[in-house]
Parts: sequence; C-alpha cells; structure tokens
Amino acid sequence: MSKSTQINYLNFNFDVSAYRLLGRELITDRITALFEIVKNSYDANANKVEVDFIDVNPRTKKSKIIIKDDGLGMELDDLKNKWMVIGTSSKRRERTSPEPYGRKVVGKKGIGRFAVDLLGAKLTLKTKKKGDKKWIFLETDWSQYSDLEAKQLTLPFEEEKEFFTDIKNEYWFEDGDESEHGTILEIESINDTWTEYDINRAFKELSRLVSPNTKFTKYPFNIKIKSEFKGFEDVMVKPLSIIEFATIAIELKYDKERGIQEIVIFENGKLVKKDVQPRVFGLVDFYLYYFNQVDKRKFKDKFNIDIDGIKIYRDGIITTPFAETESDQNKQKDILGIDKRRYSGFFEKINSRDLLGFLELTDENNPNVIEATNRQDFIDNQEWKEIKLFIIEQIQQIEKLQKYEKENVRQVTRSDLGKANQELKNIKLTIANVRKEASPEVKKQLQFIEADLGKLQGTVNKSIRDYAKLEEESKQKESLFFSLVSLQTYAAMFSHMTKHTIGHVLRDAEYFKKYFPNEKLNDRFKLISNRIYSEFLTLRTGVDFMLKYAQSDNEIEDINLHDLINNLFSNIYVNEFQKQGIETQLELSDKLILNYNKKAIEDIFDNLISNSIKALKGINNKKIKCSGVIEQDKLILYFSDNGTGIPEEDKYRIFDIFFTKTAEEGGAGIGLYMVKTRIEAMQGNIEVIDNEFKPSGATFRITLPFKK
Amino acid sequence: MDLCVLIIDDDIQRIKEGALIWELEDKFGSDNIAFESDPNEAINYIEENLHKNIIILLDIQFPDKVMNGHEILSKIREISELIPVILWSAVSEDKETFSDFINNNAFGFLSKSATSEEMLLMIDRAISYFKTSLDNTIEDWIIQKDGDKDKPVYFTSEGKSYSLNQILNEIRTQTDVGKSFAKKLNELTIDLLLRNKETLND
Repeated sequence: MSKSTQINYLNFNFDVSAYRLLGRELITDRITALFEIVKNSYDANANKVEVDFIDVNPRTKKSKIIIKDDGLGMELDDLKNKWMVIGTSSKRRERTSPEPYGRKVVGKKGIGRFAVDLLGAKLTLKTKKKGDKKWIFLETDWSQYSDLEAKQLTLPFEEEKEFFTDIKNEYWFEDGDESEHGTILEIESINDTWTEYDINRAFKELSRLVSPNTKFTKYPFNIKIKSEFKGFEDVMVKPLSIIEFATIAIELKYDKERGIQEIVIFENGKLVKKDVQPRVFGLVDFYLYYFNQVDKRKFKDKFNIDIDGIKIYRDGIITTPFAETESDQNKQKDILGIDKRRYSGFFEKINSRDLLGFLELTDENNPNVIEATNRQDFIDNQEWKEIKLFIIEQIQQIEKLQKYEKENVRQVTRSDLGKANQELKNIKLTIANVRKEASPEVKKQLQFIEADLGKLQGTVNKSIRDYAKLEEESKQKESLFFSLVSLQTYAAMFSHMTKHTIGHVLRDAEYFKKYFPNEKLNDRFKLISNRIYSEFLTLRTGVDFMLKYAQSDNEIEDINLHDLINNLFSNIYVNEFQKQGIETQLELSDKLILNYNKKAIEDIFDNLISNSIKALKGINNKKIKCSGVIEQDKLILYFSDNGTGIPEEDKYRIFDIFFTKTAEEGGAGIGLYMVKTRIEAMQGNIEVIDNEFKPSGATFRITLPFKK
Repeated sequence: MDLCVLIIDDDIQRIKEGALIWELEDKFGSDNIAFESDPNEAINYIEENLHKNIIILLDIQFPDKVMNGHEILSKIREISELIPVILWSAVSEDKETFSDFINNNAFGFLSKSATSEEMLLMIDRAISYFKTSLDNTIEDWIIQKDGDKDKPVYFTSEGKSYSLNQILNEIRTQTDVGKSFAKKLNELTIDLLLRNKETLND
C-alpha cells in the first residue's frame, strides 16, 4: 500500500460543538459509546466486528482502540455527504440495512461518530467499499474542536473567530484489494485507561446485543474483543449462560410444522409446559429467568451486570426499543408494562429487576410486530398488545407458584409447631406413667425433667402465638405498604391534575383582574366565577381524599359484612334512599366474618352506593342490590343497580383515577379508583360484568379471598 | 400576515371556554384560533393550512397510546421546519426528555399552570420570528406591489419558471424548489453585496 501524495481536506458540515453536546447527552459513558459504534457495524451489514484494545493500561502515547468491521464501507461521496453531514429530517432514516441482509437498523443515526470522541481525541477512519481500488483515510482531531469550543467561551466576540466548519480534516487514499471492504476506526489519544474490569464490562454489555438463543440466522453477527488481559486476549463475545444462575428457568419453544406454541402454566403446585395454538402475533421462542434475592446476588457477583427485565430480539438481534443501553435502572423504560402492574396489584408481583427474559421474534413468523418509527416503542396494534399480554401471563405463572410456595412454607411451619406441641404432650404423658412405678431417686430426676419439659412447652406455645402474631403483622405491613404505594401514585396524579386546575383558575382570575368591571364582558365574568367554583370543588375532593388516605389506620378486626352493609343501607343512607325512592336488597349470610380494616371496607361500599345514586337519577323503580356467595376460598359479592349503566367503551377505564362522567355533580373520578385499590389491597379484585337488572343498570363483581 | 393559533390538546373542552382563549380570540379573531384534540386531525389541519402562518400550542401527554407530543412534533417537522411549536404541558420539566424537542426545533416550553400573559409573551415572540422570515417578506412585497406577483423569479434546469407568488407557496410548503430558492437567494444577496453591486443600509 502506498500513501498517495495528494492530501485533501474535508470539513464537517454542521456545528460540531452543538452536536457533540447532544451526543454527550445521549451517550453518557464509554461503554455506551462502544455499544453505539458496534451497532453501526451491524447496520452496515458486517458479519464480524473486532474491537482491539492496544496498550490501554496504563494510558500512554501508544494506547489505541481499533474497531474493525467487514461491513459495506463508504466511498468518498458517503464520507462527504453522510459522515460529515447531519441529517435533519427523520424521513431520511432508513429502517432496514441494504439487501440481502435487510437488518432492522439498531444504531442511532449520526451518534456513532461522536461516540468515537468519547473514547479518544484522535480518529483515523479507514474505509472502502467492495470493488473500489483504494482505501480512504480520514483523520479527525477532536481536540481541535474542544480547543475551539474553549476559545469561543473565553474570548469576547471578535472578527477572527474561527468556525467549527473551518477546521480541516485531512483525507487521502491508499491502494487496496478490490475484494476488501469494511470500516476501520483507529482511535488514539484515548481518554481513559481501560482496566480488566472495564473490558469485562464492555464484554458483558456487548453480549446483550445478540440474543443468547440465536438459532440459525442467515447473516450472523459476531463480535470479537482483543486485549492484553487474561481471558480477553482474543474472545468472541458470547451471550451469558444465565440458566445456571436462575432460580426458575422457563424455556418455551414452538413447533412450526405442527403450528404449536409452548406456554407454561401453574398447575397443582408446579409449573408445567403446555402446547397451545399460536396467538395472533405468531410463534415465538420465549426464555424467562426468575432470580430470587440469593441467586440475584450470585448472578451479580459472577457477571457484574444488572438483572433488568425482558428484552425482545428479532432474528437474534436486540430490537430498537431495547437497543439503547441505559445504565441507570430508574431511567429504563417499562415498555412491556411489567412494573406498572405493581400499582394495580399487590406485592406478590414480580418486577423487572427479578427477571431476565428473551422473547425471540423472527421476520418470518412475526411480521406484524413492528417497531415504532420513534424507536422507543412498538406500533400499538393487536399483535403487540397480545405479545405484552402473553409475556405478563407467563410471569403471572411464576407469581402463582411463588404464592403457593410461600403459603406452603407457612403451613408447614404452622403444622410443625403444632406437631412439636403434641409430641411434648405425649412425652409428658409417658413420663407421668413411668414416674408412677419409678424408684424415689428416679422420681426426683423425672420431676426435674418434667419441669424442663413444662418450660419447653411454654416456649413452643409462645412460638405458636408469636408466629400467628407475626403473620398478622406482616399482613398489616403489606397493607400499609400498599397504601403507601397507592398514595405515591395518587400524589403524582394529583399534582398533575392540580397543575391543570391551577392553570385554569389562575388564567380566569387573571382575566377577571385585568378586565373587571366591564358591562360587555359580564357573561364571561359569570362563567369565570362558576368555573372557579367548580374547579375548586374538584380540588377539594382531591385534597379530602388524599387526607383520608394519609390518615387511614391499618387496624384489622373481625367484621360482620352483612351488618356493615345493612348499616349503610338502613341507617346512613336511609334518608337519601327515601328521598330518591330507592329500594335496597341485601342477600348475604349474616354469619360472614371478614378479618380486615373496617374503614377500608366501609369506604368501598360507601363509594359504590354513592355511585349508584348518581346513576339512578331520572330512573323509575330505582333499585340497589348487594348479594354474595362463597365459592371455595373466595367470597364473591355482586353489587348492582338499575341505573343508566356503563357504556361499553368506558368499562375498561372506569376504575382509572380522575376518570369521571359526573363532573357536573361534583364527581372527581376518585371513588372507583379508591374502591379498586382498596379491594386489591385485600388481594381481591373488582370488575364490571353484565348488568343483573334489565334493560339498563350496572353490576360489579367483587372477589375477596376468604377463609371459613 | 395571515396568522392562526392551533391548540392541540386532549382536554380541549376545558381550554376552549377559558380565559386564555378569550385573550387569543380578542387579539387574533376567533376565526384564527383552531382546536384539535386528535393528533391525526391536527396533522391534517396543518397540511391544509400551510399557506398561513401557524403557531402551535402542543400538549405533551395524550391518552393512552395515540401519538404523544414528542411524536406529534416530529410529524410536524416532517411537514415543515417553519412552524413555531410551543410545548405546553403539566408534566414536570425534570421528568421530560428534551433532546428530541431540541432536535426537532421546538419554539418554547410552558407549564400548564402558566398565566395568559406568559403565554401571550411567548406567542408574541413567535410572531416576531415570523416577521423576519423570508416567506413573510415576500408576502409583504406582493401586498405592497401587486404587479410583481406573477413575475417569474426562479428558473430550473428543467426549464420551469416560478412566479414570485408561486415561489411563496413553494417556500411555505417546504418543497425542494422552495428550499433551494431560499438558499440561492441568500447566496445571491451575499454575492451582490460582496461585489459592491448592491449596498444594504438600515
């Protein structure tokens, strides 16, 4: 290869400084930077990319990082018009890489080259397309840009100010073989030392790009790391072997020929695999790993990476919504809605930090699951909804198993303690029998033993009582935790709502202050006063509710449900019912005892009743009915009225906070939200079912756990 | 200058009857205030009204899974770079991601609890941004010198010619012809100034 004598220059065609700042915002650390660069190689149809760390510890003049791929490479035009220019229109972004690979693009266009800047100050880019006779070399010295940046900040405005676009980047050609192609980034003046630990981290991060379960793909993508460190001298980046560390590993496959999908379900205390028909999104492989606290720690010790939920891969490569590495777990997006469930459910729910998962899509099997153009999500079609559901359903099976095991342990402990108590009694009896016939000396000894046994029995009895108390306390604690979480959710939503309300009231008051008095505007002033009044009513309901939540105690007591509801029907609401002509019906055994917080249960029925009253306005023969049956370990309550009913489209959101159809009557959309969270805190659930009374009305079915 | 304020918000009912709208209507005329709660309708509206100067107030949060403010803004930018879009949201600022707003050239950000006065100040800034824009300068020219309206000012290599009025339309709809005219016009002006063919004075 001979360096041609001709030296030319290229300039970046945009304000590098501003763009670098943006790049910094998107790429916060060098591992992410490396990740971005490697993604670019993938997008350029590379089969292989090699990351070579040379003399990186300690950092010297000889330190270098070379990233070399066998991708498409660039020609001079590409360099001039793409590498040196920033595309502004998102339309220009291609969604797939050139054929025949047709890979779904994972890199963020335009970011990769600034990722380089995070690794080192000097870049020599070497690139060539297949068929070209020469390699192109381009040298960029980022430090010149930083220097200029610093200068611009310190110097006052003056004429000789250089622009970023004035900085020259030297390029030249060297001979090459026509069949060669690819892009090589040689980074010098590297910014940081790379320790063994860093390389290990890079290895781990890069391993996420490719699914560990990749089967045969037509165009595989291999990443190789080279360095001076033991174990990383020349290694292929291989996905982690998670299965050995997982507490529960579920690996679900499909059988294309028979058109059958494997799923897992909880049955008789075990997780079992079942064959089912494929869902609307098509056949998928799904690998789900659950980690308990102990295994999580072992996993972290071994791999030094976080357990961070379920990711979706397509044809073996991570899909774009998951392709951005975000080291701060709090900032990771919950695209699948796994963690959101925490708010609508209970503490037995598993969250992303206990799970690793790989859902494997293929273009062939799942063409209709499509990444959204904003790259942050998937297009919200039926297929995507079903996929989310599918994943959550599988997680729920693990939750069921856990709940079962937890309950099992409790029962075993309880019965072991009971058994110990019984055995002690038996021993005492035996000794008492032996004592009758024993010699006086032995009798004396046996007396001591009996006394000790008595103490022991006391301890066991105390343990039994303590255990029962402990169970009670943990139940109360869970309930307290739950109300705290609901309160947190509520507070977030409440402040959001308040901001709107303040805006409206503030602008109304501002208008009033500015223009009053003015005869012509009297109608508006009237409207303003009405609105301020009603906005404040809503605000008051919100504040009252928050206070109620904050003050609610967590005392648990035995409650006769029949008496409680009857008290509401025939005492508290009796005047209102008479006034409105509402008939009530209560069909419930008067022997049902629930062990729970009384206030919470009162709140639930209080809200349901006041809802029904609103829905019964203008109806003839008004009725409210509450009935209940016991089915196995569940108490099922039906609460019905023959009011206006709930329109089909509202059924799914009627429990949402601040959803209201009765704003005119002071409805703030809090009641049913509260009903739902209260019931879920009791580990029950509530849903809208077909109305019991015809032709119109609403029926809620409430399911509560119940022990006879 | 034809001006229109478009408010894109899912809670349109409450805003529509509010003091802010009265202020806007009194200032710009009620015909020039438009509301859309459906993002797709909003995009249609913008496409059909590109001949006007539109200022957009854009909410960020929309009900589940229709486009949100981020996506709407990027859709708007696919149509035109010339429209000032003011984001208007109750999301707390530190919870928002702003980089794509910056990339997509948002005009400003206001809280949902802002006063009408703060909002009007922001809108005034958008108006003064319009006043210095190329398309409005051409429009003012046409209004003052009606005879120049149909004079050809731009010739393409394919032999097509564009009148001043046609060029105005090309710029507003952000076609390639419009963009390349704007660029060449600037270059021409600089060239004329440098070769002392023209002088610019205030």
